[in-house]
Amino acid sequence: MIARTIPIRRIDWQDILRRFAITVFAIATFIFVLMPFFWTLKSSFQTDLEILAIPPKWFPRSLTLEFYIQALKLAPIPRYMLNSLLVSFITAVLCTTFGSMAGYVLARYPFPGATLILAFFLFTQLIPSITRIFPVYFVLRDLRLLNTYVGLVIAYVSFSLPYAVLMLQGFFRASYPIELEEAALIDGCNWFTAFTRIILPISIPGIVAIATYSFLGAWNDFLWASLILNKGEMKTIQVGLRDYIGEMGLQQVNAFMAACVMTAIPAIVLFRFAQRNIVTGLTAGAVKG
Amino acid sequence: MMRRRNLFCYLMVMPAILMVLLLGVYPMLASIRMSFLQYDLLRMRDGTPFVGFKNFQDIFADPRFRMAILNTFLFTIIVISTVIFLGLMIAQLLNMEFRGRGFLRTLILVPWVTPPVVAAMIWMWIFNPERSPINQILRAAGLIQVNIRWLTDASSFGPFSIPMFAVSSVRVWNGLAFVTIMILASLQSIPHELYEAAQIDGAGALARFRYVTLPMVRPVIAILVTLLSLSAMGHFEVNYVMTGGGPRDLTNIVGVLAYQRAFTHYRFDQGAAMTTVILLITATIATFYIRSRFRES
Repeated sequence: MIARTIPIRRIDWQDILRRFAITVFAIATFIFVLMPFFWTLKSSFQTDLEILAIPPKWFPRSLTLEFYIQALKLAPIPRYMLNSLLVSFITAVLCTTFGSMAGYVLARYPFPGATLILAFFLFTQLIPSITRIFPVYFVLRDLRLLNTYVGLVIAYVSFSLPYAVLMLQGFFRASYPIELEEAALIDGCNWFTAFTRIILPISIPGIVAIATYSFLGAWNDFLWASLILNKGEMKTIQVGLRDYIGEMGLQQVNAFMAACVMTAIPAIVLFRFAQRNIVTGLTAGAVKG
Repeated sequence: MMRRRNLFCYLMVMPAILMVLLLGVYPMLASIRMSFLQYDLLRMRDGTPFVGFKNFQDIFADPRFRMAILNTFLFTIIVISTVIFLGLMIAQLLNMEFRGRGFLRTLILVPWVTPPVVAAMIWMWIFNPERSPINQILRAAGLIQVNIRWLTDASSFGPFSIPMFAVSSVRVWNGLAFVTIMILASLQSIPHELYEAAQIDGAGALARFRYVTLPMVRPVIAILVTLLSLSAMGHFEVNYVMTGGGPRDLTNIVGVLAYQRAFTHYRFDQGAAMTTVILLITATIATFYIRSRFRES
């Protein structure tokens, strides 16, 4: 039998101390991150009397869904949600279509000007959108697209496109060898059908990530929606929520918090669904570069 | 053949380029142009004559704008330094092996997809002075006697004030996840052998952090600082929704002031001049960033 030696390990006090410090610190940060969710949830279950109590009460007496039902009647919230859903969905479809078309040729064919075009997208992606709000407002007004869904969708698609192109370009470049297209071309595909029949079907992960990204961009946006589309029933959910609190202040906080929960849930669920793809896409570019 | 292939390429990029030109690049240029015109909606009878640098002279003579510039830099610095510090800590923790790690990783991402308006609303409720759980805890601990008025306390120390910290912390809350996953990804790309080698050479935990971890995450931190400062310089939502720039302009940043100047006071010329200042600053940073990235590849 071979005698096994047990390695004698020196206790690394520094390491233990470091782990302890990081852990304490991280727990504090997790409380900072999670407390607002707890506070929102508990508020959405409390009666008017409980929620306005001073000092605040930390736990609701019962888990009633009453205020969620009330929230639906506060303002046309279901209608606002449908508006947001429609606008975000069309944005995601268009953004993914145009983004993958451009991303594909930029990744695969070294045509003249490709690098310049990439730099152009990167530049518009990096500059904060606040620097162009006034002219966008006037452009859409002149095209008679203010207070229309079409106007809002066009705005969202053009704002999400630069990132979509850049990310999909990186995705197509990294995912498969150039021989794949060569084989497809020999087998009788043309450039376009090689893209639609061969490349797109195996690029679902990247496409899901970009579709989710652009959907969330539209769903979460407030600035553009408040500028372009703020008429009555056509409002998106973010503008609707903000206008409600602007008018009503602290009345019916419980129902309002319920509305906040309902607004955040679609975003969270959708993100959870595509989380892996988004995180991979996001980090691939930055970690390598 | 080559020419036909190039034609195909241009056709494929055309829709994306046209859309980005129409609502991305053209408005940026038009905004610069607008900042050299008189564009006052209340005086449109005069048309929109060219006035040279007058709008810039006016806004720089305006103490509210000078304060907004100072606040924008302050906001950017507070948010970036906090978010990078916290992100580095959490990423370290999430990189350790323990049960429930996957669950925590998902949880930490949730604020990231919470709509900024909803985040602002939630925190406004948490910051309600009489009903704030934070005030309650601070009172119970005997640290305060009077409730802190998180969003309305108008006393200030130079540009520092409680509302500024409150608003910045909401932005930190919203943006922390992005920073954490970026740093975490770079931590995971560090080969384990490096740590083992360092340990054999007698490096303690602090030395390993200093000489192995930090140099390896430095490139990602540089990228994050660039991206975050670009977005913080043009930030709008949280400040607009939570305080509207108040009290006494203590949380007013250039994005919010420009928006109010245009849509409340109808001075689109001054609003455009303010956003042009942001454009100049961010375009400079962006150009350096793009050049360094293209030089690498």
